[in-house]
Amino acid sequence: MNRLGVIALGAAAIVAIVAPFFLRRYGIYLISMWAVLTIAAIGLNLTLGYAGQVSLAQGAFVGIGAYTVALLTQAGWAYPAAFVCAGALCFAIGWGLGYPALRVQHHYLAFVTLAFTTLVFLVLRNEEWLTNGIYGITGTERPVFFGWSTGGARDFYFFCLGMLALLSAATWWMLRSPWGRAFLALRENPIRALSLGLDTRRYTLMAFAIGSSLGGMAGALYAPLVQFIEPNSFGLGMSFNLLLMVIIGGSGYFFGPFVGALVAVLLPEWTRFTEGYYLLVYAALVMIMMAFCPSGLLGLIGRMSKAMTRRAPTPPELHAEGTTP
Amino acid sequence: MSAVLEVSNLRKSFGGITAVNDVSFEVREGEILGIIGPNGSGKSTLFNCVLGQLLPNAGEVRVDGKPTTRMRPCDLNRLGVSRTFQLLQVFPQLSVRDNLILAGQEHRGSMLSRLFGKSDAGLGDAAERMISFFQLSHLAEEPAGALSYGQQKLLDAAMAFMAGPRLVLLDEPAGGVNLTMLAHLRERLRAYHAEHNATFVVIEHQMEFVMALCTRVLVLAEGRIIAVGAPQDIRRDPVVIEAYLGH
Repeated sequence: MNRLGVIALGAAAIVAIVAPFFLRRYGIYLISMWAVLTIAAIGLNLTLGYAGQVSLAQGAFVGIGAYTVALLTQAGWAYPAAFVCAGALCFAIGWGLGYPALRVQHHYLAFVTLAFTTLVFLVLRNEEWLTNGIYGITGTERPVFFGWSTGGARDFYFFCLGMLALLSAATWWMLRSPWGRAFLALRENPIRALSLGLDTRRYTLMAFAIGSSLGGMAGALYAPLVQFIEPNSFGLGMSFNLLLMVIIGGSGYFFGPFVGALVAVLLPEWTRFTEGYYLLVYAALVMIMMAFCPSGLLGLIGRMSKAMTRRAPTPPELHAEGTTP
Repeated sequence: MSAVLEVSNLRKSFGGITAVNDVSFEVREGEILGIIGPNGSGKSTLFNCVLGQLLPNAGEVRVDGKPTTRMRPCDLNRLGVSRTFQLLQVFPQLSVRDNLILAGQEHRGSMLSRLFGKSDAGLGDAAERMISFFQLSHLAEEPAGALSYGQQKLLDAAMAFMAGPRLVLLDEPAGGVNLTMLAHLRERLRAYHAEHNATFVVIEHQMEFVMALCTRVLVLAEGRIIAVGAPQDIRRDPVVIEAYLGH
């Protein structure tokens, strides 16, 4: 990362820390939601942006994580144990969902994962003995750590922000290892990767499992944040929304999900002044953006900074971290 | 000398067409075997069967005496068999250096140990040596997609050598490369061969390239071997001339 990037990152971190002191309850709720959805989007960015496997199931994993934590804490488990359990369960299910990806790719894979999302939704709605069906589950308790209660809105925001920092650092570290290179190879040329001794089967499953696990952990924060979870929250809408965040931010860029989630959470609020039309305006803005910068906002920034630093013509699809597949 | 690769009675058909028909040959340690033949003679199919990309209908492939017929390409590669492709197969968005490190990293330790290991999997120096061997030093940081076609061919070959393979199969290395670059590529392949006593199998259309590089040549036509011998004998063989110039 260059110096400008470090400065931008530092400034963003400071804003994220001081913001809740200038916001009211709803504002803090929104930025908490941003932190939670960013974690889920980081997971999807890993699966889609780095390893090149299309998934429309990330919302379902957020749901599985949320229900796991809600049910386990209700049953008397400590929150950290329930959190780990949500991550581990989604890792295992994500590994299983990776198997179709070994046979089908691109939009066929999108359909397989879409079916999975519907399946999860139906289980959450119909298995009332476990999930309480359409009535949902209310009042998932916010955890207390060594006397620090995260019950207040601001405290819980800092808990979410801390988890975001921790999980994104872990992801960064993983992508810096040879695994990161292997995931990119999987996206760019799986046949060549296979001929270089790369076990593409195992890396594909791993990409799905880790991405899904991050979705599950986001869900484990989602339940105590919103305090009321029900099946409809984790339908196709959320999966599409997470996909949108990854694409808008810049698929395959490490910080893409941070930017994408910010746009997806805040833009609908900012366009509220148009009253009844705000979702319409939001949709139009997304369409315009996709038409003019398909590599996302970070792709746009990368292109602009490249144009400014050197005037030499470079192919537009080449940049440091990646593009949309 | 012992055989690095043994192919016995290999057969592969697609529907009613038998692309490779009962082919047997062996590749000895340290030789450069050229495989030539007119279009559609089964060269690429033979390669793909040997490399585990296609499953043959019958026959067996052995590497250093070990049967590999049903092995996946990635396991075969870790056994020491590496390849280049007819059409360019580099990773365009990775830098030249990262392409090379990627080509070697899966040979280092287990998947888990690589996660906790160094970012370059301890291959930084090896990659540097390979970059200077193929005279790509000024391009080390460039994304591979920004290289010229000939430079990418060089990189492709360098990647095949990264893990110190026992056997390298080169699929039309000269295809689409200009004459200057071709001479350079041939000279580098020869230098690598001399330095490491490597074993090569080369599929090629470009006769000059084959005749100048290979120590032995095998001719395929309609899925069968019609001649094997030293390059200068093959050039004069009436059966080969017949196969190439037509009926």
